[in-house]
Amino acid sequence: MGQALVYWIIALIFIALALRWARRSMGEEKIPLVAVLAAGIFAIQALNIPIPWGTSGHMVGAALAAIVLGSPYAGVFILTLVLLVQGIIFGDGGITVMGANIINMGVVGGFVGYYGYTAIKSVIGNVYAAAFIAGWASLFISAILCAVELAIAGTFPLELGLTMMGTYHAVIGLIEGGITAVALYLIASARPDILEHPTAVSA
Amino acid sequence: METKQFIIIGVAIALVIAIVAPFLASGSPDGLESAFFSIYGAKPFMGSELDEDAAGAAEEQVVATTGNDFSYEALMPDYSIPGMDKGGEVLAVVLGTLTILVLGLVVAKISARPDN
Repeated sequence: MGQALVYWIIALIFIALALRWARRSMGEEKIPLVAVLAAGIFAIQALNIPIPWGTSGHMVGAALAAIVLGSPYAGVFILTLVLLVQGIIFGDGGITVMGANIINMGVVGGFVGYYGYTAIKSVIGNVYAAAFIAGWASLFISAILCAVELAIAGTFPLELGLTMMGTYHAVIGLIEGGITAVALYLIASARPDILEHPTAVSA
Repeated sequence: METKQFIIIGVAIALVIAIVAPFLASGSPDGLESAFFSIYGAKPFMGSELDEDAAGAAEEQVVATTGNDFSYEALMPDYSIPGMDKGGEVLAVVLGTLTILVLGLVVAKISARPDN
């Protein structure tokens, strides 16, 4: 329980930083985009896609939110809303561990997604390949951190947890990367102007 | 594309996903659940047979390990509406999608940078 509290405190710090980002950088014209992204991410999280080994996986969406809105804090902002609704109304994810979920999915997903995207884009030049790789990495690293947290909590042995979480999520990451790239393409095609870095998107 | 049209199409896509999700979504455990069942011997790491009894025992063991037995009855547990079947699941995910759309609008409106 003490561990859950620590994660909640860290999560609250990032939520405060995300609110500060919104106040400084999220213009009013972005409001509908934020709401639609949040709704779309919630819906697609309910769509579990089968992977091998009797397992399934679904999109997280923080990388997409961060890339489209041009800040890792957008991932924190939107995933916090999604996780609140999932936890409180649907009993999914839980209340106690919501802080950890906000860190793993919102913070790690947003930061790895955003900085992975910008770094890879500058090296290989293709925005959609960069979005795919960054989406994959955001999900994989979230899962690795989750395995470490579960090892600290005493529920997963570290090595076994890392192996299994890593294996399953290396595959689930392909779903994350694929949907991130496709959604970015659709948004960039429909409205290149609302992307935070429109000149970087050629579509 | 105009903003209004973009938003309508975006919401429509979200709602279509919400409606088809209960029919198309895989019922297999997700990555975290699968790892959990495998570690506690309820499912082979790279196999698909789930031992329900072992899975239940594993869940009790984790409650004992973490000391976290907090639980409460959610309004729509597991994306379903108590007493309804598939239609209830569709309704649950659609209501959730609309809830987060409104919540997103309200929270974004409150926290956005003022234009003036």
